[in-house]
Amino acid sequence: MSNVSQPVDDGRVELRGRFLSDRATIRLLLIVSRYATLIALLAMAVVFSIHSPRSFFTYDNFINILNQSSLTALIAGGLTVTLIVGEFDLSIGYAASLAGVLVAGLMSHQGLSIPLAVIATVAVGAGIGTVNGALVAKARINSVVATLGIGTVLVGVSYTYTNGQPIAAGMPDSFLNFAVTKFAHVPKPVLVSAAVLAFLWVILNLTDLGQRLQAVGGNAEAARLAGIAVDRTKIFAFVMSGACAALTGVMLSSLIGSGTIAAADSYLLSAFAAVFLGSTTLRDGEFHIVGTVVGVIFINTGINGLSIFGVPTSYQNIFTGGILVLAVGLSTVARRYTTR
Amino acid sequence: MVAAAELGHDMPARLGGRPPHDEAPWIEVRGLRKSFAGAQALAGVDFDVWRGQVHGLVGANGAGKSTLVRCLAGLVAPDAGSIRIGGVEVAISSPQVAQKHGLAFIHQELNLVPHFSGLANMLLGRSKRKRLGIVDWRATRRDVQGVVDRIGITFSLEKRVDELSVAQRWLVSIGRALIGSATMIAMDEPTASLSPAEADRLHAVVRELVAHDVAVVYVSHRLSEILDLSDTISVFRDGHLTRRASRGDFDRSSLVQEIIGRELQPEAEADAEAREQQHREGSGDGPLLEVRKVTRGPVRDVSFSVRRGEIVGLGGLVGAGRTEIARVIAGVDRPEAGEVVLDGRPRRWGSVGAALRDGVALVPEERRTEGLFLDRSVAFNLNLGDLKPLRHVPWLPLLNGRRARRRARRLTEQLGIKASSIAQPVGSLSGGNQQKVLIARWLTRDLRLLVLDELSRGVDVGARADIHAIVRRLAADGTSIVAISSEIEELVEFCDRIVVLAEGRVAGEVSGDDMTPANVLSLCYADRDEHVEVPR
Repeated sequence: MSNVSQPVDDGRVELRGRFLSDRATIRLLLIVSRYATLIALLAMAVVFSIHSPRSFFTYDNFINILNQSSLTALIAGGLTVTLIVGEFDLSIGYAASLAGVLVAGLMSHQGLSIPLAVIATVAVGAGIGTVNGALVAKARINSVVATLGIGTVLVGVSYTYTNGQPIAAGMPDSFLNFAVTKFAHVPKPVLVSAAVLAFLWVILNLTDLGQRLQAVGGNAEAARLAGIAVDRTKIFAFVMSGACAALTGVMLSSLIGSGTIAAADSYLLSAFAAVFLGSTTLRDGEFHIVGTVVGVIFINTGINGLSIFGVPTSYQNIFTGGILVLAVGLSTVARRYTTR
Repeated sequence: MVAAAELGHDMPARLGGRPPHDEAPWIEVRGLRKSFAGAQALAGVDFDVWRGQVHGLVGANGAGKSTLVRCLAGLVAPDAGSIRIGGVEVAISSPQVAQKHGLAFIHQELNLVPHFSGLANMLLGRSKRKRLGIVDWRATRRDVQGVVDRIGITFSLEKRVDELSVAQRWLVSIGRALIGSATMIAMDEPTASLSPAEADRLHAVVRELVAHDVAVVYVSHRLSEILDLSDTISVFRDGHLTRRASRGDFDRSSLVQEIIGRELQPEAEADAEAREQQHREGSGDGPLLEVRKVTRGPVRDVSFSVRRGEIVGLGGLVGAGRTEIARVIAGVDRPEAGEVVLDGRPRRWGSVGAALRDGVALVPEERRTEGLFLDRSVAFNLNLGDLKPLRHVPWLPLLNGRRARRRARRLTEQLGIKASSIAQPVGSLSGGNQQKVLIARWLTRDLRLLVLDELSRGVDVGARADIHAIVRRLAADGTSIVAISSEIEELVEFCDRIVVLAEGRVAGEVSGDDMTPANVLSLCYADRDEHVEVPR
């Protein structure tokens, strides 16, 4: 199937004479954009370092950025899996908030041990993912609507569970200390999210399940005709994003020392921004774990630098929201030009 | 009646038949040419349409009739030739331009917005406007009422289009064309999914249209309705308009002969069954696949069987039900009635995965949308069909990347898939190589039956020969093959036996010396109401 014999109209011929051909220009742009996030990240770091070497360019601050990134990376990692199968999960922020109060409540009200409370909470997250997945894959509800609806239900559940009060008292010290202590000089939240992301990377890249996830996201009908159980694969993806969201909520509770309502809601936006930004990193609009990590670090470096610059925290939303729109735009453009 | 001798010649040196009207044609097409990827769909066609007439177009799949209609509708840009409407030469560069010139085109997908009401669809961009772009509802209502009365719409136009029946959707489409003051309406296979009663209703509307001086171009495989409805009939074959004649100059058999382009061999069909019997006895054991009275969608009571290592073709025109049967056999769809029996055991697969576990695989009809992951690598597309053997250890779902790459490389070499590397995106391969990838995907499995929906569509000659050889080798190793091709010549050349479907039913089977393109094609035109050509 070639278009070689197709006549080319005059305008196009002139264009070809003057510039590179359309194709070559696009290819060049794509190669540049693959590294654009990394280059911009580096540029940002250099600018911040020159501007405030004493506060930005320090070991402690880098650890700080990593620490801040770890929770976003955790929730964004799960979201990456859902986006890979071509669906949205807008419930993750609310699921993480619910998990935060739930884990606190299970320990202080129900008196569960730390491991039991954490396992139960993550299981609830996986359950939320199963419901989302079933609504999308079996009931064929648009994933944006389904997960937004479920997310809103989760907000209600959070309030009902806590009566609107934060749960602060009665949590074991070892739980409260977890997120603020280090193991081998690395903060424990960083280790946890590194482990989870490594696990997700292995699933996506080295297992048959990963191949099926990629296939379903690439072309669901072709996947079905190739013998893949599309429904089950999609549900699995939602389970991943739900469980990751729950774990994020657990870590956040440990970090802030209480189970607070709506504490993790804002992670939704930064997770989306990071994953979409990541999809243009090293690939052409294809969601992947390494890209997601780069995206998360990019956003947190930006926020960190801005706060060192003395920019009010309210501007963080402008930054993150702007990055999201920009990243989705870049990702869409990149995909449009590679799929032909 | 036309003498049989006159029908044999191939080229349209001079068109037969007298001009059906004394007046000048409303639409004059001259020397229209169009090629797709080197294949000639229209080879210089002259074609006229008169107002107040039904012009029927017939021909086998790919004969050029649909391409001609699509050129008129602005959906396809011709390579050469001219189109005049009412004596003025026009360039129909888009569907909007066609609409402006009063040309409407209705095809099976019907171009309606499913969740809009019938009325909204009829008015889409067509409502009467006053100054400042405000809709003049009174004038609009008057227009709609006129159209509703004319074509006899009795259902509520407030209903959403996706709640209407196919026949009702046709009426909405026709109404839409009329509100746009169409002077010509082209219909592509309008009755393909209508019941006989609905088809009669549609025919009445068509007669009503021509009585009001609208020109109707009517494309159909159903010869009885073409003969019944058309004032003029044009026959297409291999991109040529081979014959045009007034109603009455054709009868059914002369029309079939003209479509086929050569004389029928009447004795050929008679002993098809006897040979079939011979084959069956010769092979000894029972059939691998038995399709028993399968009904699904347009397919009704289809039965046939396939022996081990046999290559059976499914012939038929567009809409005959070939793809539906292929999908049922491969486990994509469940039959509404009847059953698929594999190796003596009735099977009710609910998914492709279940069929695969029984060794039944499908190469789907639409390569790019149903088969391939276009932006993924050749290796990804190849390995996806059979992932389990690529694990390091069978009980752990970790894949061995080296083994995967090695297998992909082996398959590309084995089938002669031309790619720069196994990492190349499959979307950038040629059609032939893409088809090879789809076949290769299943070759590492223990295949008992391979279903190929469109064996080699859009594939160049060299790759086609390769594909034939690959599938033949597979059959020689004992895998049974069910192959579909819209090119009858290819089926005849490639298959051991051909089951021909017409309008969802088995019209007959041909094998051995009876397996000629002419015989297959005549079976394709077997009408339910006229069983003249059906053997047995």
